[in-house]
Amino acid sequence: MIHHPLAWGGWTIAALAAAFIDRNPYLQALLLLVVINVYLPYRGKRRASTWKFGIALAIVPIFFSVALSRFGRHVLFTLPPIPIIGGRWTLDAVAFGASTGLALLLTVAVFAVLQTTVRSADVVAVLPRPLYRPGTTVALALAFAPKTLAAFQSIRDARQLRGQRTSWRSAPALLLPLLLTTLERALQYGESLDARGFGSGRRSRYRPLHWTAADLLVVIASLAAIVLIAVLPAVPYNPYVNLVPVLPNPDRLLAVGLLAAPALTASLLRVDHARHRA
Amino acid sequence: METPPTRSLTIGKTIWLGAAASAALIAALLSIRPAHAAIHHAALVIQHASGSVITRCVAFAEDQITGLQLVERSNVEYEAQGFGSVGSAMCQLDREPSTVPPGCFGSGPYWQYFHRRGATWQTSALGASSSALHDGDMDGWRYAVGANQAPSVVAFASVCGAHAPAPAATATPVLGPAQATPAPVGTPAPIPSPEAMVPSASPSPDAVLTSTGPPAQPPKPTAMAPWLAFGSMAILLLTLGAINLRRRGP
Repeated sequence: MIHHPLAWGGWTIAALAAAFIDRNPYLQALLLLVVINVYLPYRGKRRASTWKFGIALAIVPIFFSVALSRFGRHVLFTLPPIPIIGGRWTLDAVAFGASTGLALLLTVAVFAVLQTTVRSADVVAVLPRPLYRPGTTVALALAFAPKTLAAFQSIRDARQLRGQRTSWRSAPALLLPLLLTTLERALQYGESLDARGFGSGRRSRYRPLHWTAADLLVVIASLAAIVLIAVLPAVPYNPYVNLVPVLPNPDRLLAVGLLAAPALTASLLRVDHARHRA
Repeated sequence: METPPTRSLTIGKTIWLGAAASAALIAALLSIRPAHAAIHHAALVIQHASGSVITRCVAFAEDQITGLQLVERSNVEYEAQGFGSVGSAMCQLDREPSTVPPGCFGSGPYWQYFHRRGATWQTSALGASSSALHDGDMDGWRYAVGANQAPSVVAFASVCGAHAPAPAATATPVLGPAQATPAPVGTPAPIPSPEAMVPSASPSPDAVLTSTGPPAQPPKPTAMAPWLAFGSMAILLLTLGAINLRRRGP
């Protein structure tokens, strides 16, 4: 399994480059398969919301494109001259919106994989020494938002269990305990950092990060994919010019295939659950 | 001594995945496609403000070219200006107007762009650099005042003669708009190919057959290879997904 955050960083950059630079639907479909493949061995139990968000994000551009664009030769139907939405609705606009939506879905999916596989503590651990303190501060600040949302949900659930309805009138009764919980958590963070000797001297590692052969393989594959994507010319997909996309060149297929390296290593190596949970 | 679990390889899976990867690689290697499989023809009709009409027949090896490429390859003098994703507008065509107005368009007549649809002209929704012409297509330009001033109706056969549209479905890669000639600013100096120097058997005195691109080569029987490469890759990924799906997440 891939553990090193830098390996995942390289993979993320390569996957995002593939998603943004080439809009060929065949390549987009393959890239989506690759990202799902990479996600599967590392998946957790409560990650469906991210994918739901990604799918919703992918559908929105289709509606916008087909409703607002009047270009294209493959007319689905023609609306009477209603402001903004009136006129020809074309299949070309649907294809353009779908292509854009798929790029957005791929972006969300890549970050979902990154969120699932990389712990913020590991990212902080690989930061250079001058960036250690600001990095820790940023990581704590970023972790604060979801914790605050979770606290808000808990307070609301507790109120509902007591039979109290939640509305805008109950905002003071919600916000006061939320503020107290947040302050208490901030104090806990401070005490935890103090107990660990944060900033008092040279930092030590309880669980040092080591490069494994799988990590190196993923880094090499990601770099090769980036080079292939950046150097070789892409065949852009423009449904308004040609609705039917052309098949991508073999080098493009190879670039996308290289991104499946984390999934390949995960399928060949047995998952060490204990280590991943550590 | 027992092998650590993180290092142990499943031999069966390795062989399976190796075979699938080899198949994908072989298919990718086989998918070297012929660059040019046939000669296609597109017609160009240009009508000046005086009413004079010139026509050109352009031969091309690609599956499609843009309207701007059609003008460029016809060796007619032109000056165009790009307008982002909408495409290029024609500022000057065949020395009309004599001086290009500032901002491409003046307050009077301007070059209007049309595609031939059946027996009539249809105003182009895109600029010349974003439109696509296939075998047998016809583009029309007219320098006139007011919208929808289409050029005179000219039959494709009267421009391109006996060059009937060739059958489609070749494995020639289609060039996208970004690979097409970018919207040139300023008068280009197109270099005619040797074929362009050969007088054509055009039915009208103004018509010129301009062949562009490398000479045609007989198509190679590798049209299925790209599909094979794509299919192999998809099957490989689906198999990998099935293996990883059976695993328990961490």
